[in-house]
Amino acid sequence: MDLQLFKNFLVSLSQVFPVNFDFRDIKGSVLFSGNKKVSLPISRGLERVAGQVTRQESFQYLRIEDKYDLFGVPVLNNARVVGVLTACDNGVEQDVPGPKIYPAHHMEQLLTHLAGLIEDKLSSMDESEKLAEELAKSFEDLNLYARITPQIKTLRFSPAKLEELNKDLLESMRAQMGFAFMPDRPEYNSLITVAEIDGKITQSSAFIEALINAIPPDASSLVDNYFIVNNSSQTPGYQKMHAEPFRFLGVRVRHGGKFYGWLGMVSFNMKEIFRQGEMSLVISVAEQVALVISNSDLYRDLESFVINVGKSLVFAIEAKDAYTRGHSERVNRYCMLMAKHLDLDEDQQKVLNWASILHDVGKIGTPESVLNKPDKLTDAEYEIIKAHPLKGYNILRPLDQLADSLPGILYHHERYDGGGYPRGFKGEEIPFYARIIAIADTFDAISSNRAYRSAKPGKAALKIIKEVAGSQLDPGLVEVFETVFHASLDQQE
Amino acid sequence: MTETQAKKILVIDDEAHIRLVVEIKLKNRGYQVITAKNGQEGLELIYSQKPDAVVTDINMPLLEGDELCRLIDKLKKKRPFLTVVITARISPQEQAWVREMRDTQLMEKPFSPSKLVKCIDDYFERQSS
Repeated sequence: MDLQLFKNFLVSLSQVFPVNFDFRDIKGSVLFSGNKKVSLPISRGLERVAGQVTRQESFQYLRIEDKYDLFGVPVLNNARVVGVLTACDNGVEQDVPGPKIYPAHHMEQLLTHLAGLIEDKLSSMDESEKLAEELAKSFEDLNLYARITPQIKTLRFSPAKLEELNKDLLESMRAQMGFAFMPDRPEYNSLITVAEIDGKITQSSAFIEALINAIPPDASSLVDNYFIVNNSSQTPGYQKMHAEPFRFLGVRVRHGGKFYGWLGMVSFNMKEIFRQGEMSLVISVAEQVALVISNSDLYRDLESFVINVGKSLVFAIEAKDAYTRGHSERVNRYCMLMAKHLDLDEDQQKVLNWASILHDVGKIGTPESVLNKPDKLTDAEYEIIKAHPLKGYNILRPLDQLADSLPGILYHHERYDGGGYPRGFKGEEIPFYARIIAIADTFDAISSNRAYRSAKPGKAALKIIKEVAGSQLDPGLVEVFETVFHASLDQQE
Repeated sequence: MTETQAKKILVIDDEAHIRLVVEIKLKNRGYQVITAKNGQEGLELIYSQKPDAVVTDINMPLLEGDELCRLIDKLKKKRPFLTVVITARISPQEQAWVREMRDTQLMEKPFSPSKLVKCIDDYFERQSS
């Protein structure tokens, strides 16, 4: 207890006043005292008074040896006696002449007022500690909010982010299991169990599922999208879930009428509760999660839409001309065959897939008269043709989903010897996917009819490809193409 | 606390409610806590009270937190102690100068009091092991 000011005050009072004040705790230890010296009978008497005050919880007065008056009052905190304030005549010791006996009711009043001041101080200390604890909890909530909001802002919410979020929530709410359960979106499922309850639950996900399934559909709190079990041993439907009592909070992840799943936590620590503030936090997090999932879905749909529009446009342009019909699809097929031989992983294949199918999307902006001209192109017309990789790049640049595919599109007309366009990159400077597409593109151009020349059969086309390996095309990748050709293309040609 | 003598922590912040929260959290954890309202006051207490750890804000009147850290960095050569700097936003510049300081850690506002306590606990644990 931080009562330094009272100690000073009572000591000073004892010095100028013929009365000695002591303050002791209920175990009898003197916390502070105005007495310099006290005779044994008086100190024993004071102990007796203090004992009586503690038991009776009221003012006590004791006269010993027929001349010493001793007084005591309880000091309360939270309706409990936490200490005793005692007073005795200190003139006794010093043999100061004059009255040594004070009217008991005056002393009672004085002591009661003093005790009141100490009680006030104690309770305001308690109060400020409680407030500080509350404040500390809001700090924790704020901290959590601050960490969550930047994630909510992103358009690409990922399962990994939800896992992180789950971990943060679990930690800050000091629970023991944290879960995200999305029946239709299992990629978002997340279940974290703290080490302290290892072995307590063998089938964690089945346990969580059972908890969710036991939520009564007509529970009134579901209007606010949550369901809480403060003590499983007292909640119908939850008594038999586990031998030990636990707490459970489940919050619906829902946005705009679309239900995604549940977010929540479990704890076997029954000394704590889910606080109101924490619960609102989880509810608002769940709302935000639903919002970002729905946003990412929308964004993804939108992007796929734009990609498909681009694809359709390319096909439409190609279809108008018998010579180029199906070109992009064939280039795409050759590329994907090479991708398998190159052992590209799924993500890399996806990047190459989009790059190859959209490599000529820039032709959307090229006049048909130039594209399908049977005669030799003029320099000006050739310049227009040469612009198509950059045009395609500019059309697709706003789409995040295609970011990795853009280099393949922009540089598919570079030459291995540096003589290509738009940049004149050389050898390995040319992005990998662009080098693959260049081979497939060249092969298809040679092996299919063009306005300006007739098709060469597959084998002849391959021969030409091999001749330009090292000058126009990447020789290493041409070898790969040759393997692919013999393995998959030769028979069909 | 396993130590016989409670570690002494100095909390420097011009905002009373932050001082209060940190003080109560650390006291309840068994630490002895002293507080200062600004960097100047804090610096005096670092010299006179020799705290085992300092928790300080960055933006304060009289003496700013980063300046304070630079001033006390030399002291740590002889007597190492932890400084936790609480800042409104962790920027690359901030991370750069904090890296230069001995035993100094950054924590971003709004900070988590329990993480602050844990950071201090961990420091003393590392020290004793």
